[in-house]
Amino acid sequence: MALPSAAADPLNQSTPETTENNLQPFFVLHKASSSKSEKISNGTGRTRRRIDLPPASPKKTDKSEDEKTRERDEHRYHHLRKEAFELVCSKIDSIIKDVLRDVNTSVFNEINRWVCESFNAIKSFRTPGFTEATRSFPIVADATCKKVFTGLVLTRNMEFVDDLLTFEDLGLFLRSHGCHVAKLSSLDFSAKNGIGGCLRGLLRQCLMETVDAADISILASWYREQENHNTPVVVIIEDLERCCGSVLSDFILMLSEWVVKIPVIVLMGVATTLDAPRNLLPSNVLQHLCPSKFTLGSPAERMDAVVEAVLVKECSGFSVSHKVAVFLRNYFVNQDGTLTSFIRALKIACAQHFSMEPLSFILGGLLVEEKQKGEKSGLLPEEILTYTSQLPSYARNQMAELNGKSFVHGFSELKRLHKCWSTAVLCLHEVGKCNKIRLLDLLCEVLDPDLYIARASNNHVALEKDSGVPMAGVHGIRRKYSTSQKGGFICQIVRKVRDLPTVTLKQLLKNWKKISLNFLEINEKVKDLQSMLGFEDGQFKPNVDDISKRHSSWNPLNSEKVSKAISEKAAAFLDWLVREYLRPIECIPLHEIVCFKNVEKLQLALIGDPRRRIQVDLLEFHKILKCSCCSQSGNVLLPSMHDTSIMYTLAQEHGDLINLHDWFQSFKTVVLRPCTKRKHKSKQSPLPKKRKDMHESADKSEASIQLVLGLSTLTIPLSPPCPTSVLLEDP
Amino acid sequence: MEINNGVEEEEEEEEEEEFGFSRNYFLAKELGGSGKKSTRKLSDIDLVDEQELRAAASNIEPKHEKEVAALLNSYKSLYPKWVFKLRCGFGLLMYGFGSKKALIEDFASTTLTDYSVLVINGYLQSINIKQVVTSLAEVLWDQLKTKKVATSGNLSKVQQPFSSRSMDDVLAFLNGSQDKDCFVCVVIHNIDGPGLRDAETQQCLAQIAACSCVRIVASIDHVNAPLLWDKKMVHTQFNWCWYHVPTFAPYKVEGMFFPMILAHGSTTQTAKTAAIVLQSLTPNAQSVFRVLAEHQLSHPDEEGK
Repeated sequence: MALPSAAADPLNQSTPETTENNLQPFFVLHKASSSKSEKISNGTGRTRRRIDLPPASPKKTDKSEDEKTRERDEHRYHHLRKEAFELVCSKIDSIIKDVLRDVNTSVFNEINRWVCESFNAIKSFRTPGFTEATRSFPIVADATCKKVFTGLVLTRNMEFVDDLLTFEDLGLFLRSHGCHVAKLSSLDFSAKNGIGGCLRGLLRQCLMETVDAADISILASWYREQENHNTPVVVIIEDLERCCGSVLSDFILMLSEWVVKIPVIVLMGVATTLDAPRNLLPSNVLQHLCPSKFTLGSPAERMDAVVEAVLVKECSGFSVSHKVAVFLRNYFVNQDGTLTSFIRALKIACAQHFSMEPLSFILGGLLVEEKQKGEKSGLLPEEILTYTSQLPSYARNQMAELNGKSFVHGFSELKRLHKCWSTAVLCLHEVGKCNKIRLLDLLCEVLDPDLYIARASNNHVALEKDSGVPMAGVHGIRRKYSTSQKGGFICQIVRKVRDLPTVTLKQLLKNWKKISLNFLEINEKVKDLQSMLGFEDGQFKPNVDDISKRHSSWNPLNSEKVSKAISEKAAAFLDWLVREYLRPIECIPLHEIVCFKNVEKLQLALIGDPRRRIQVDLLEFHKILKCSCCSQSGNVLLPSMHDTSIMYTLAQEHGDLINLHDWFQSFKTVVLRPCTKRKHKSKQSPLPKKRKDMHESADKSEASIQLVLGLSTLTIPLSPPCPTSVLLEDP
Repeated sequence: MEINNGVEEEEEEEEEEEFGFSRNYFLAKELGGSGKKSTRKLSDIDLVDEQELRAAASNIEPKHEKEVAALLNSYKSLYPKWVFKLRCGFGLLMYGFGSKKALIEDFASTTLTDYSVLVINGYLQSINIKQVVTSLAEVLWDQLKTKKVATSGNLSKVQQPFSSRSMDDVLAFLNGSQDKDCFVCVVIHNIDGPGLRDAETQQCLAQIAACSCVRIVASIDHVNAPLLWDKKMVHTQFNWCWYHVPTFAPYKVEGMFFPMILAHGSTTQTAKTAAIVLQSLTPNAQSVFRVLAEHQLSHPDEEGK
């Protein structure tokens, strides 16, 4: 198919195809084809170009049988793993959405109530008559009728990126409650597009079609035409601070003129403080605002909710190792503290897992049909079992002879133990909440396999199953962690539960009971504790005050004793939970299938570091190219090295500040030096006074060409601003 | 904890390095100020014409050709991983020293045959992004037609050509399909290049990247390229998966459009440089220059006195 738009830049047609494509702003490399050989070829020559890569090595044609089998397997499972990733990822997505919606529900309800009240207030100003309403200009009204009800939604988050989803949810929520909703961002309030930009955005969202003319009377007539025009129009401005003040002022002034005809209620996302509108808008605009304040949950609260739902509770089956969890926490704390970046990191971890772990597709199957796993398992393909037998955690534990049945048993055991762990963590966190312990911090501790091993050996529990570390190392670990454990979160939590007042303890037991509903053993213990405190069948019989009164009338010391005893019991219960159930995923056989562990891969994919890496590329290029000529050089610059590398190294030696002429001279010295073992003197000025050996002029000019080319190449990654400040000294 | 220590050590190293850079800078400044200035001048270097230089440069034998070729070949083993990430909805961002043009196009030609691929040469000076989006929509339209993925009702809706539709409409079309395996790949060489470097174009590229039917494979060369994007673009639109793939291949094509330092450039380059200097002035100073220029233009015969 000819592309009319692509033809707009017909550069020299007579040049070869490749050169032409290189000079096109854009071109179609190829189109999707079911048969791989089919390539597009049209008359204009703007098609697939030759590829400069050298042909694959001839070895590729005669692959060994093993290699072929591996490729076939890889291809077969590639698709399965991709599907599994999609299933797991969409599950995580939907869970996060639900969790965040739950976190915001109360604020959303509050906002909705306020919107209704504001709408009633606008209606009470004055209802326009038919003729007034259908005119294409606003109704003349007094100042009180020109108030724009404005909800300032404090996001408590300097990064607006986390709030995009919140405002999207808020929009959906208000729409489901009968409001017309339009969502505008700071991009709509840019100085370049002016008032027309935001108005067009508003019209497009309300009228559901693109309108060329930016005229608010169109909106007025649309509102009039609506069957249910008895509903407010809510305009959500996501990020107030980033809007252009003058455009926003014009917008608000315009809305205030029309508010009787179009009952617009504005919601503004405020990242900083309530002063934000005052800083942005002039006073004549501010007097038209009738503000109210709403506050969203803090990022840490949301974070806890997400971590609980995704990483602690059994949601998708996917989990992360201790090191990955620590990395994720550090990334959240050090990077930008946004939930969005955390979720993205988690998704990349998930994608890495599914792209690296051959058996990860099993997770997808489990999600689709939980029940089938028992039935299907007997027929597990041979290669899965072979692979499984090579898993480190399997090999370590030397489980019974591997067949379909034992594999399924091992896998269901993995899931069971993980569920136990999750219940124990949730119980611990319930106490941790009283001490403001963040779940993410706690998670890092409860996922630590070394701590588990140390705990187990402390308690003289035989490390009957997977330990990950040989027994000889256990004592060392115990020593290492015995002190740090004391200050650890688990320790704090156990200590905290001893100090809890009776009322809080009662509530805690209630929550524990809810958490452990599916675990008879834990549930029973919680019930026992409850009965000690006077609960029966989940109902708390005597009043707390009654007890304390009764106790106090009897003997205050005795009551204290009772509550102390119960606290001790609760602490003992927690101890028991930690001892019995807090087994990190990494200490369970077959965990490799569900648990992502490669923190280095995650870091590389998540945080590109071009600034450092490109400079390292230049300085240590021989490590990447693995050439025989430069690898042995040490710190000596050799003429065989890349010109750009030589130049960059020289510039570095000069402390990033180099006289161009000196640079050239040093460069020339290196480049023209015969490949002998002359020692490079890095401390001495590389500018040679007079070289004894004369070079031919051809060599000289070549060196200067190399310099210019090297310099030009260096400017691609490094300019502007060029860190190697070139000092051009004029006479 | 161990990992914490590791991170801290790394951070310390980083700080040390940063400190090293700045220390070197001030040391060099001090030395420069101490009167020990070099007597050499720029004029000591013979400057040649850019065209001549480029012609002569083509005769110079490139270094490490064999190793570069081997390095490029070694990346082929990563292709399946890259395509997996694309299918998972991530964008690929390639960085590292050396031209990545051949590598990415080889990847696209050999591995992305199931998808249409559109290439944007970001190293060029000007690129019309609206044309790109229109072409992209046309390519997707073709793909949908041949694959018959979209319902017939959905397809018949498109009546007017994409070129006459608004940007939002075309983007909405690109964002339309729910089929996760039906997408068009956009290869962007030098997404940080001069033709794409402005904020507006980057916003537009981010919007394109966020469309459900588009996947981006891009390369960056500048060390500060990530500064082009804000959090929204990085986390929710581009959704980059970074890959460090130094190639050490010469920037043959990309370098063609970079002004050559130390060569006698053309007048357009001088004008551009002047414009950059002008932009850095205060608004007042700019208006003084404007008045001067207007005066000069309206009185062409007068000698500037």
